[in-house]
Amino acid sequence: MASDRVRAEPTLSGVGLRLPHLTDVVATRPSAAWFEIHPENVLANPHAAELLVDIAADYPVSVHSVGVSIGSASGIDRPHLARVRALVDLIDPIFVSGHLAWSTHAGEYLNDLLPLPYTRETLRIVSAHVDEVQDALGREYLVENPSSYVGFHASTMTEVEFLSELVNRTGCRLLCDVSNIYLSAHNLGFDRDRYIADLPADAIAELHLGGFTPEPEEGGGEVLIDTHGSRIAEPVWTFYARALERFGPKPTLIEWDNDVPTLDVILAEAARADAVSQSAFAPRQVHALAS
Amino acid sequence: MPSLLEIQRLMRDAVIADGPARALPPLLTGGRDPQARLAIHRHHYQASLTRALLDKFPAVSWLVGERFATAAAQAFACAYPPAAPCIAEYGADYPAFLATRAGAERFPYLRAFAELEWHLGQASIAIDRSSLTIESLASIDADALPDHRLVLQTGLRYCTAAWPIDDLIKLYLNGVAPQRHAFEPADVHLEIRGARGEFRIERLTQPEFLFRSAIAGRATIGAAAERALDANATFDPGQALLRLVSDGLVIATDKPETNL
Repeated sequence: MASDRVRAEPTLSGVGLRLPHLTDVVATRPSAAWFEIHPENVLANPHAAELLVDIAADYPVSVHSVGVSIGSASGIDRPHLARVRALVDLIDPIFVSGHLAWSTHAGEYLNDLLPLPYTRETLRIVSAHVDEVQDALGREYLVENPSSYVGFHASTMTEVEFLSELVNRTGCRLLCDVSNIYLSAHNLGFDRDRYIADLPADAIAELHLGGFTPEPEEGGGEVLIDTHGSRIAEPVWTFYARALERFGPKPTLIEWDNDVPTLDVILAEAARADAVSQSAFAPRQVHALAS
Repeated sequence: MPSLLEIQRLMRDAVIADGPARALPPLLTGGRDPQARLAIHRHHYQASLTRALLDKFPAVSWLVGERFATAAAQAFACAYPPAAPCIAEYGADYPAFLATRAGAERFPYLRAFAELEWHLGQASIAIDRSSLTIESLASIDADALPDHRLVLQTGLRYCTAAWPIDDLIKLYLNGVAPQRHAFEPADVHLEIRGARGEFRIERLTQPEFLFRSAIAGRATIGAAAERALDANATFDPGQALLRLVSDGLVIATDKPETNL
């Protein structure tokens, strides 16, 4: 069991910890505020799990699942959920989170986070699954807003309305992926400022930032692909500052999953997030002193 | 409006099988062509699983060539989606699939070679435990010993082949690419032992292989010895057990089940 010091929610930004860096982190103990792992990378890899337990003794760790699939109409993957629970018991993470999406269908895993129509039927299914996940884990689950390329004509509510109602029904909290809002707003044509204005700020527990890749579309324009394979885009840093103003300081995590660079490159992005956060709140402190 | 289950079935077909998606695009919004947007998910599914298989079987690519390996990995991802989210577990059936591909007849040892590579990958992510000493076995009554089962290191794998595939994969591992390599059929019985990113391959005699693989398959010591003795009447189970323990491969013993 990790110590209370490790369990405390961090105030500085963390980074996604992927398999190529596990051995280095164990050996060098870099100056990182906290790490996030995907349980799917370690559950079938005993060596990686052993390294993770070592790391979790010294750093706060967050567990971010890509496989629980709370949006699957054919049911969530209960054996997988049980394995996630076993890992949670082992490392006592600061957060456990997943996505408002689906990735399994009738016993098949599609290795992607697929979109949902925002309807009463979907809300009923997702709410039941979040309840089940929270019961199985014995703790609060954070639900992340997805990155989207398509929507559904059948949707009867916006994504923010859906998430807000999900919070009301289940008591879950939200992982607000700032890059996903930026990307989805571009791809689907909604107002990203309105999105963060309408999100329930009290429910936001954590923020995510990740890189994306623009690709040209036939007929003109471009679609932003959520690749997590590059630095955070400049406009997203500006939007991140706006999100901080809306939500207040929150633990922020830098995701980098493809073309993974050396850890110091990702840590430099985390340092930049901290700098943005400090400058977002510094003027208020000056104002408070002056008044 | 179809149910969520029906929408997900249609989307599953579009993502995995590039199935007839006529029913799906009218349901979608996003950009000028939502069907093209859907292809982003299909591309991700294909590319991520193909990459995972190529990363897991680099020696297969070395043997058959990148084009053959890539086409096979793409076809496998379409035909056999993962059953669970841990991609480290995906690909156990890939060696058998490879052997059915057009052109695989040029490599009659391809399935066995790919299975060996799969075992190497699985063994290398295991962790080894403290092993038993021969003294700890000495406390077991000699008459009861044949009824005991042994628990072996989790990074152990046993496989046989009708070709010396261990020699072939060592060429790959050593970075050797000879212009010609004499390669003739020969039965090999292999033990793979790995842990924490490392592994080694040992050739065993047939009786030793039968004894050790039976123990690994949870046979009692007595049953494993009988299997080996059937193959070679001069096999010495006591010495074989001693070697198994002294090689550091036994981590626990299970007491015989008691019939009530």
